[in-house]
Amino acid sequence: MIEFVDKPFSNSDSLDVLNSYVREWFTKNFSELTPPQRYSFKLISKKKNILIAAPTGSGKTMSAFLSILNSLFNKSLEGKLERKIYCIYVSPLRSLNNDIYRNLGKPLEEIYKAIKKDKGIDIIKGNMAEVTIGVRTGDTSQKERRQQLSKPPNILITTPESLAILINSEKFMENMKDLEYIVIDEIHELANNKRGVHLSLSVERLQNMVKNEITRIGLGATLYPMEEAAKFLVGFRDGKPKDCLIVDASWSKELDVKAMSPVKDMINSSNEKIEDSMYKEINDIIKASKTTLIFTNTRSGTERVVFNLKRRFKYGEDIAAHHSSLSRDSRLDVEDLLKKGSLKCAVSSTSLELGVDIGTIENVIQLGSPKSVTRAIQRIGRAGHSFRAKAKGEMIVLNRDDLVECTVMLDAALKKHLDSFTVPMNALDVLAQHIVGMSLNKKWNVDEAYGVVRSSYAYSGLEKHDFMSLLDYLSGKYVGLESRHVYGKIWYDESEGAFGKRGMYAKPIYMLNLGTIPDEVAVSVLLSSSKAWIGNIEEEFLTRLKPGDIFSLGGRLYRFEYARGTKCYVSEAHTNAPTIPPWFSEQLPLSYELANEIGEFRAKMSGMVLEHTGKKRNSANRMAKDGVYKALKSGKIPKDVSDFLSLYPIDSNAKHAIFSYFAEQALFAGAIPSNRFIVIERADMENADTNSIVFHSLFGRRINDALSRLAAIEVGRMLDEDISIMVNDNGFILSVGKSVKLSDKTIRDAISKLLDDDIELLLKENIRKTELMKRRFRHVAGRSFMILRNYRGWKQPVGRQQVNAQILLKAVEEMDPGFPVLKETYREIFNDVMDMERTKEVLGRIKSGAIKYEIIKTGSPSPFAHALFTFGHADVVLMKDRQAYLKYLHGLVMKSIGLGK
Amino acid sequence: MMLTDDVELLDGMPIAYVKSINALAVADLHLGYEGVMSGGAALLPKVNLSNIIKDISAAIEMTGAKEVIVDGDIKNEFSKVNIEEFNELYDFIQFGRSAHISLILIKGNHDNFVERYREPFKLDVYRQEADIGGYLFFHGEELPKKMTAGIKMLVMGHEHPAIGIYNQIGFKEKLKCFLYGKYMGVPLLILPAMNYFAGGTEINNEPRDSLLSPVFGKVNPDSMHAIAIGYGSTMDFGKVGKLRRLKA
Repeated sequence: MIEFVDKPFSNSDSLDVLNSYVREWFTKNFSELTPPQRYSFKLISKKKNILIAAPTGSGKTMSAFLSILNSLFNKSLEGKLERKIYCIYVSPLRSLNNDIYRNLGKPLEEIYKAIKKDKGIDIIKGNMAEVTIGVRTGDTSQKERRQQLSKPPNILITTPESLAILINSEKFMENMKDLEYIVIDEIHELANNKRGVHLSLSVERLQNMVKNEITRIGLGATLYPMEEAAKFLVGFRDGKPKDCLIVDASWSKELDVKAMSPVKDMINSSNEKIEDSMYKEINDIIKASKTTLIFTNTRSGTERVVFNLKRRFKYGEDIAAHHSSLSRDSRLDVEDLLKKGSLKCAVSSTSLELGVDIGTIENVIQLGSPKSVTRAIQRIGRAGHSFRAKAKGEMIVLNRDDLVECTVMLDAALKKHLDSFTVPMNALDVLAQHIVGMSLNKKWNVDEAYGVVRSSYAYSGLEKHDFMSLLDYLSGKYVGLESRHVYGKIWYDESEGAFGKRGMYAKPIYMLNLGTIPDEVAVSVLLSSSKAWIGNIEEEFLTRLKPGDIFSLGGRLYRFEYARGTKCYVSEAHTNAPTIPPWFSEQLPLSYELANEIGEFRAKMSGMVLEHTGKKRNSANRMAKDGVYKALKSGKIPKDVSDFLSLYPIDSNAKHAIFSYFAEQALFAGAIPSNRFIVIERADMENADTNSIVFHSLFGRRINDALSRLAAIEVGRMLDEDISIMVNDNGFILSVGKSVKLSDKTIRDAISKLLDDDIELLLKENIRKTELMKRRFRHVAGRSFMILRNYRGWKQPVGRQQVNAQILLKAVEEMDPGFPVLKETYREIFNDVMDMERTKEVLGRIKSGAIKYEIIKTGSPSPFAHALFTFGHADVVLMKDRQAYLKYLHGLVMKSIGLGK
Repeated sequence: MMLTDDVELLDGMPIAYVKSINALAVADLHLGYEGVMSGGAALLPKVNLSNIIKDISAAIEMTGAKEVIVDGDIKNEFSKVNIEEFNELYDFIQFGRSAHISLILIKGNHDNFVERYREPFKLDVYRQEADIGGYLFFHGEELPKKMTAGIKMLVMGHEHPAIGIYNQIGFKEKLKCFLYGKYMGVPLLILPAMNYFAGGTEINNEPRDSLLSPVFGKVNPDSMHAIAIGYGSTMDFGKVGKLRRLKA
């Protein structure tokens, strides 16, 4: 059973489970127990599976380890501590591993010293061995590895990948037979991706190979739903989740946060003014605090903020950037400086969001929306290191959509409404790796192996035929008998219902190619005409490009044409409108839950604002008398609206900006989209080359990604025309040529057709020949050992892998459309990149009438559509082009509602 | 579709049929491709040979052809004869026998050692080019030599031509195509690759100077017609020059 424990044990109850040496050490070093420790000491001492959610600085490490140390020292005192591994600690971050090693080294040494002092010569007589600890990662030297084999540490600190290697090392497994504990740290970083799925299978395989039932301890920051995270941690037995207790101490830290706008009027202030006040605001906070941590969402933003702060306020080495494109060494330097307290300010994109101890941060500034409640809490939670301190943070927003988003987000954070995570379920590529791994361990009965796999949460619902299709694939059944020695990676006898090791190459292939993180490489951008090199983009960004997309690189605009291997061909674009921002692939998508809450906020605001304006739009007479009109002019907000907005953690600048945003939309368009109402806006601007249909569908990008493709396919079929798409979290735009006749009826017909069609089939056909499909297929084929990243010790270049993948994709499609590697690629795209399930849910709600839609016509885009129209320009930190265009659009709106100059 | 009174491009297949000599013309089979690839780090299942045999069988049935002219690159590996390749070549020759056709091989740049098979298999192998009934077959990695007055048409392979069409939703359609134009006043037909995996070079997206064959030094690809194959039909898409930056 999965159960929450909400009654902490008393301090004395907790400390009573410790032997005198461990207790003494603890009370000497800590003045009190932190909230998670009041649960964990006792529960772990009783060998309960436990998931602990707690913020950084709440003594998480000790809460997990102290009872384990205690039991190991008990063994030592009884003379029963052997040279064996009793506890494994797994964390996704190598740097965290070193932290833990250091943090545990001290108690181990000091407690043993106390025992030595107390027992004297009896230590030798009683065989009271020292409790040992070791680290095993990809960085561990050969010499250390050998030593770990002959003298295994009692506590082994490792990564998911190294663990997967260890469970296939016979000699190492000998030392692990008596394993008692496994601690999995940063579980929120693992539960939502294939790396975590991979780990979950490793753990179940490990459980299958050891004598005892392993006590599992999960540590993490906030995540929701906790029950699912707990199941992920403990796995299943006989189709039911094993027992696990949940300790949610994540809210023990108070948040003190505010969304703020650097200027009163976000539209009409000049760029210089906005930037000046933003940097002044930031600098004021930096100066007033001991250490400030700034999050920017993108790496380029990080660099720009550091550059600007240094230039404007004469900072020197006391400000530093920290992001994933920097070298490991320079990142470690920054972390070290932060720990020592010698930095005034660090600027990061995402890399400092979790994990490593970075000392005391007084204040966190978030620039722009972090796109998820959980992430907002994690980032702001970096402030105030001790669990008693309040986490202080500011969110500085520069446009009105971000403002609404952050307002709702912070409110949700304070109300503890988190967005949920999802585990990729039944990922066949990860499973393929493990089946190869399992085949190397022993000869398996098929059903027994299937049972072990199903004990992992991520495979608890795995269909037998999917498992069997992997056995077929891995044993080479898809090729003729005579070639099976080349293709087969496992031996499989159908009649006997057993599988096992095949040949001498299987093991090196497994060891050299395991893991879930694909090899990525910079893609060179070349002019298609002259083949001149322009610069590099990331591969992930390439997967987002559609032919015809315009993006900026090195300050100029290029149109994407095609890609081959690791080269991307473009032509110069003579336009001023990029269609996709350069950081698009870096930007995390808005979560569905948050999108829904924003939709709810919009619905409430729209009820009030439309009450004031009436639903008819653009009637100047009415507006002249109208209260809202006056309010907009005078800057006074109607009382009901003002009261409502006062419930949110925002400043008065922000309140006014939100009100005018909604009021302008109401006056201009007469319709405000929400989570129950999709506005489809036909914004046919006179001076544009295309007519645009804006779908105000606020469901988050993963759903809009699917919805926009589907709508484009259906409308495109109706018109027999090609349609271009622009998509973000708040909606999407379909653009068609000016000459194309498009009636409202066509749009309605397309939607009703969409509601009845098999959308998976539609999307499959659409995705089959995109870059996204080709690249993802390479990743999946790599993980499934169909393309080897490392072959006989040679690393295969990514470009080569990609070319191979494309050829392979063709062969596999020809052979069997249900081939597991192909099936997994579609699953990954549908469920991990997009969100098919919720897309279906949304479409279902449209069909049932729970979500209504209305088509409106506007001469120029309505205010709520501006973000989409300026999307290609969108960049929170450098926003000159965007601002100019936005101002132009806003001018059109104001003129139309009689407030323009 | 009929290309001329005497030459038919078989619908939906990368195969030409010449009536007057009752022969099929194909190019660039690259047999043994999967085997060669699987020596690297991608285990490619075999589908090439079976597809080729399927298509050629259908073409024989449709036309009653007695000969198959392979216009170069019947096999894949340059430098050696790989065992998988030999097996496939053998199977292909056996298929020719059982279908009662004679095989004529024009040597391509991938076809080293292919002459070894002349004797044991009783094949016609031409080292460079062959004038068969007024049609000059050559592979295409070199210029044609015997441009005598009686030549009715030049037929080559080597280039693997295709056209690429993009649409805005990010979907790319790539179709194999024949190219048809004139070389020094004589009609020139370039055959698409028969190989299943060779998607082809997008002639309409590729600059002229990056094409492989030296004939493009004398013929502007933009002036040639792209006759595309796909979805069971074969259709003239017009001149390549018009198809540059083609969007659906």
